[in-house]
Amino acid sequence: MNASSIALALVFLATNVQGQEWLDTVDETLSLKSRNGLFRSDLTGLVDLEGYYVDQRPPGLLFDDESFFNYRTTFFLDTSFGPHLYSFVQARLDRGFDPGESDFEARLDEYLLRWTPWDDSRLNLQFGKFATVVGNWVQRHDSWQNPLITAPMPYDTMTVISADYPAATPARFLARRGKADLKSDWRPVIWGPVYATGWGAFGTLGKFDYAFDLKNAALSSSPYDWKLNDSLWQYPTVSGRLGFRPSPAWSHGASFSVGPYLSPDAGVYLPPGQSIRDYDQITLDYDVSYAWHRWQFWGEVFLSRFQVPNDGNADVITYYLEAKYKITAGLFAAVRWNQQVFGTVNNGAGGQEGWGNDVYRIDLALGYRFTRHLQAKIQYSLNHRDALLQQGEQLVAAQVTLRF
Amino acid sequence: MENNGHNARCGALLTTLILFGAIVAFGQRALIEGKVTLPKPQVSVAPPPRYAGQIGEIAPADPPEAVVYLEGSFPASDTNFSPSANQVRQNGMQFRPALLPIRVGTKVSFPNEDDFYHNVFSYSKSKRFDLGRYRREDKPATQLFDKPGVVKMYCDIHQHMRGIILVLDTPYFTRTTNGVYRLQDLPAGHYLLKAWVNETHVYERPVELKPAEQLHVDFDAK
Repeated sequence: MNASSIALALVFLATNVQGQEWLDTVDETLSLKSRNGLFRSDLTGLVDLEGYYVDQRPPGLLFDDESFFNYRTTFFLDTSFGPHLYSFVQARLDRGFDPGESDFEARLDEYLLRWTPWDDSRLNLQFGKFATVVGNWVQRHDSWQNPLITAPMPYDTMTVISADYPAATPARFLARRGKADLKSDWRPVIWGPVYATGWGAFGTLGKFDYAFDLKNAALSSSPYDWKLNDSLWQYPTVSGRLGFRPSPAWSHGASFSVGPYLSPDAGVYLPPGQSIRDYDQITLDYDVSYAWHRWQFWGEVFLSRFQVPNDGNADVITYYLEAKYKITAGLFAAVRWNQQVFGTVNNGAGGQEGWGNDVYRIDLALGYRFTRHLQAKIQYSLNHRDALLQQGEQLVAAQVTLRF
Repeated sequence: MENNGHNARCGALLTTLILFGAIVAFGQRALIEGKVTLPKPQVSVAPPPRYAGQIGEIAPADPPEAVVYLEGSFPASDTNFSPSANQVRQNGMQFRPALLPIRVGTKVSFPNEDDFYHNVFSYSKSKRFDLGRYRREDKPATQLFDKPGVVKMYCDIHQHMRGIILVLDTPYFTRTTNGVYRLQDLPAGHYLLKAWVNETHVYERPVELKPAEQLHVDFDAK
């Protein structure tokens, strides 16, 4: 059975009246509750089928070498043990954390245990492997809530920073600008939702909310670094966000994150007497969102500094502005403008040069929710680097999502 | 002139007779009362938000309710109606009422009484709508329900929120919150009496109503 047959079968299942009723029943069936209501466990999920057509090497965190088909099944298990204890697990079967990374993988992407000491939400403490508190994209990053298919540029576009192989000289560092993305080696400013492992605390106090976490990996770290390991204690990253909601329509947030971004393997490439603790990724982020009737807007701007061995501070500013409009009850359109601008570093010859190729991208998407269980989206992206070598100049992507 | 006076007297007599007939007929309207066994209320804790920054305290949902209504062919005079105003409020992250019976052709408004956004939508076959994001200060959006059927409502922001509007093609219906119901001023005839508890528990009983009759019908939903 090929991908289009599976997609058509999903469409038929979810749009058919009996199919909808069956999926509604599944919703109820996959929920366990104790009689007194103190214990409750809900299993929900998403099945995504995606197709990516690229005119050259794929952009962002798309890993296959050419146009490809991608599948993803995600299970979410939310369990409450009374009003003060909660656990969450996200398990996935897919072609790698990022599309096209492998043929098949099964992983636990998130798992956490949370204690809420008071009856209200002023304080929550949690431990496990969970999404970063930085920014405002995490809350809407799953395929059902993201109005587009790909992530915003700060979350998916590679820089020439390598966590494993720092360049030996400034010239070698700058030479990477002329190469195609080395996705298994280089790093974006923030790698998707950053499901790293550690501790977290968050809460809401009136119109303000706060969140902090202590994790084992930097914002730019790859999914392989997020698993439970010794880095939590040896090379921790501290992140935080303060949020303010002056009204239901507006939300503002300011985030920071500081921590070593090099992997322990990079130690051999460092100057004598230096350790990976001496090279941090320092990030500041401002996020804003606004909603009114059929409109929703989001924006984020990141200023990130990588302390680069054998060179100096490499700064980058990356931002996006995104809008979604519900045209009818099912039909919606979305547009996102993204840009990444690089600062300069020492070029080793007494001058300064930009350490990356500035890039802009526009993402356009049209989506339709057939039912409460089925959604389809199509996206077109135009990506342009200020360089001779382009990285996925045009992308057409389609996604069908079944939610249960 | 004489003919005119005769016609006026005849007209007055006819009007009197019609009014009298209507009063007699009204006096002979039937009544059905009884009880519907409702499911036990469930104490349920909605899952907390998965990620930091998601706000709101969830109040308990309303206990189970039922709608009892009469289906059939009614006299033409019974099918004229002036639509009344109906509301489904969003309060404490719950729809209130969670079950609203209305007649076909009724408008319903959806005021948000919480301090944060709600986004009411339905993809039901008989009514498909998405109100977008509304806050407490906004004039509530309204929708016209012009087809009979079960309209399931949800909130695009708060996934635990569930509500139902039962759009009925009958003027005779009532909602009960404690199981006890009373349908009055019913015309004589053969009808189907239905009790709608939820989608899987809909009970029906054929009834024959005679003028001025009082029927007692219980629905045991066990």
